[in-house]
Amino acid sequence: MIVTVWTGYLLFQDPPQFFVDATRAFNSRLVCLAQGILHMGSSCLSKDRSRQQPCRQSQNHHHNRHNRRNHHGQLHPPPRGYHVTTMHQSAQQNLERQLRNVRHPNLFLAGLSSSDNDDDDDDTNTDILVLDTLSIIRRLVDNDPEPPSSMLRLHDIAESESGWLRVVLSMIRVIPMEDGLGPAVITLLIDECPLPTVETIHRLYGALGISQNLSQEAQAHAARHRNIATVLGCLAEKLAGPKSITMLIDDVLQYLLANLNLKFSPQVVLFSLIALEKFSQTSENKITISNSGIRELLLPLEKYASSEDLMLRQVGFCAQWCLDNLFLVEGRPYTHELVSLKDCHAMLNDKDVSEYLKITPTGLEARSDASSFESVRCTFCVDAGIWYYEVRVITDGVMQIGWATKNSKFLNQEGYGIGDDEFSFSYDGCRQLLWYKAKSRPHDHPMWKAGDIVGFLLDLKHQEMLIALNGNFLPPETDLFTSAQSGFFAAASFMSFQQCEFNFGMKPFVYPPQVAFKTFNDYATLAPDDKVILPRHKKMALLRHMSVSENACNLCFDREADVILKPCNHSGVCMDCAMQLEQCHLCRSTISVRAFHQAGQHHS
Amino acid sequence: MSGLPRRITKETQRLMAEPVPGIEAIPDESNARYFHVKVAGPAESPYQGGSFKLELFLPEEYPMSAPKVRFMTKIYHPNIDKLGRICLDILKDKWSPALQIRTVLLSIQALLSAPNPDDPLANDVAELWKENEAKAIETAKEWTRVYATGK
Repeated sequence: MIVTVWTGYLLFQDPPQFFVDATRAFNSRLVCLAQGILHMGSSCLSKDRSRQQPCRQSQNHHHNRHNRRNHHGQLHPPPRGYHVTTMHQSAQQNLERQLRNVRHPNLFLAGLSSSDNDDDDDDTNTDILVLDTLSIIRRLVDNDPEPPSSMLRLHDIAESESGWLRVVLSMIRVIPMEDGLGPAVITLLIDECPLPTVETIHRLYGALGISQNLSQEAQAHAARHRNIATVLGCLAEKLAGPKSITMLIDDVLQYLLANLNLKFSPQVVLFSLIALEKFSQTSENKITISNSGIRELLLPLEKYASSEDLMLRQVGFCAQWCLDNLFLVEGRPYTHELVSLKDCHAMLNDKDVSEYLKITPTGLEARSDASSFESVRCTFCVDAGIWYYEVRVITDGVMQIGWATKNSKFLNQEGYGIGDDEFSFSYDGCRQLLWYKAKSRPHDHPMWKAGDIVGFLLDLKHQEMLIALNGNFLPPETDLFTSAQSGFFAAASFMSFQQCEFNFGMKPFVYPPQVAFKTFNDYATLAPDDKVILPRHKKMALLRHMSVSENACNLCFDREADVILKPCNHSGVCMDCAMQLEQCHLCRSTISVRAFHQAGQHHS
Repeated sequence: MSGLPRRITKETQRLMAEPVPGIEAIPDESNARYFHVKVAGPAESPYQGGSFKLELFLPEEYPMSAPKVRFMTKIYHPNIDKLGRICLDILKDKWSPALQIRTVLLSIQALLSAPNPDDPLANDVAELWKENEAKAIETAKEWTRVYATGK
């Protein structure tokens, strides 16, 4: 699970105030859509208040009715009294650690001398809050129902336009290069804070002095420029649409394009490229960027997609993805037309994946650059025996990798992935946690590093699951077998900017376990057509040409409509759908019997 | 999720092939479950002449659970709050899987024609609507002019 679920918490923490304050807060697509509960939950809440009922009850009522994510309902009373002292103490410890890495130490010295000052109205305090959030995120687990106090404070500061500007400039200034979670934390904080107006964003451009020439400084101040690019990308994603168009002024475009040069740190190149990709989510921007000469800059970068330098490999991955999906080059064959999949019999399933995950045409490497929590399952399912696969982590941030059955749901927008329900179990080497039913517990492995190999052994005979980091196995896990005994798929979830590579047995394993095991690749088969991972635009075009049979179920259009509902006698649905209905879909009368049609009998 | 359910593809095709007058729903380029929606303010309502942007998202459980819909354009309406959330029974407990994107959007358009201040989401708006309907309607017209036209 990732931390974006707190947005629900922030909205709910103080309901009466919420309707007064929230005018411009959270007007982002993701925040609202992310919270399945928000649309309905809060409106129940407002009605219930008018009937003098406690609002929390309505929320739980709502959750129970929909029978999922009940633990969201257990929100605590507003923690508006911040633990300021505690926070400052942890921030100071943090500061000592971070001082070594940051480029403007004098700012922090000033911060230290006024550290007992509660007034948050200055840059130094904002810097401390940002660094505090950064250090806390790694240690946070789901059992904390409240966001960290530093995040709440930042959210409050960002309520005003000038406050927002201060928070963002602070993130750009202090988030260090070495912290792999830095860009993800920028994404998270921008997600959590109220969104700015376009005027404020232009003020941000002014404060940064953004232009093509600014790029020259990226060599000496890589962290700053990676952070600027990350912020631009986040805003482009959050404000997709007309606002994103007014954001992409020529200075910004030229700045980002100038950054696509490997004389700079690969991280600067990577996040500038991701920013351009996110601006391209808005069609008009895509045309503008497409006409800016970006192809010539991307073509030399895509060869790094197979590089063993893992930073460069990410640059190559994203360049190749852009060339296949966004900025097509005449005469350049698609990558999927070039890869040989002759020996590949098991891969990541391009039809069993949440919307924004990017999968290479080899089917064995995946990456997410979205702010949601993206998941995927393997094509091959195992029911008996002992199986093993390996994952090489290309990035060292939050990923939850393990096993899932078909019943496990990918609720990417809500922050739920593998290990967040009873049908999946996962390993998170960044936060050093094991996940099951969206609850975590720590494990004894050190934090993973880019390039590490995680091994997953599933022993269905003894109903055990073994996980190893670079060959070092943890004790067996058995939780998942309480809800499923067969039908397991290798599966993984990715936080923003994370990437990993799977080995399902096509290549020799780096740390093969010392027991007899089978590999997916030896036992699976895939039809040639099922191996092809098409670019998105080609996939969407195919979907539009799909046809539907005349007698299809009116609800799913997948199966035949062969069921009649009693006592109302309405029909037009299949048994799968009928089983999910409590009331008739047409007349709302309670269903007592679901019967198959007799031949020739038609009611409707 | 296994690919895009046929139901969603089918609805999308029909929305494109036979659009509803006054309503535009276009799937996002990269996410077929996310629709960019524009609804024209109904004639003889305070919203006449306005074009209101909404977003519509089909959750994993769709059509067994309702789409999530929200106004992106600011609107002065007793059943729509400041964040654009809509108080409409078919989006909540009265949802039926026989309803579709198209019927949901038609219902929302109808809600613009018939505000219901007795079942409010935006309490301050509802109160004014009940106390001084003429003034409320004037405000709704003004907001339509300021926020829902010429953009």
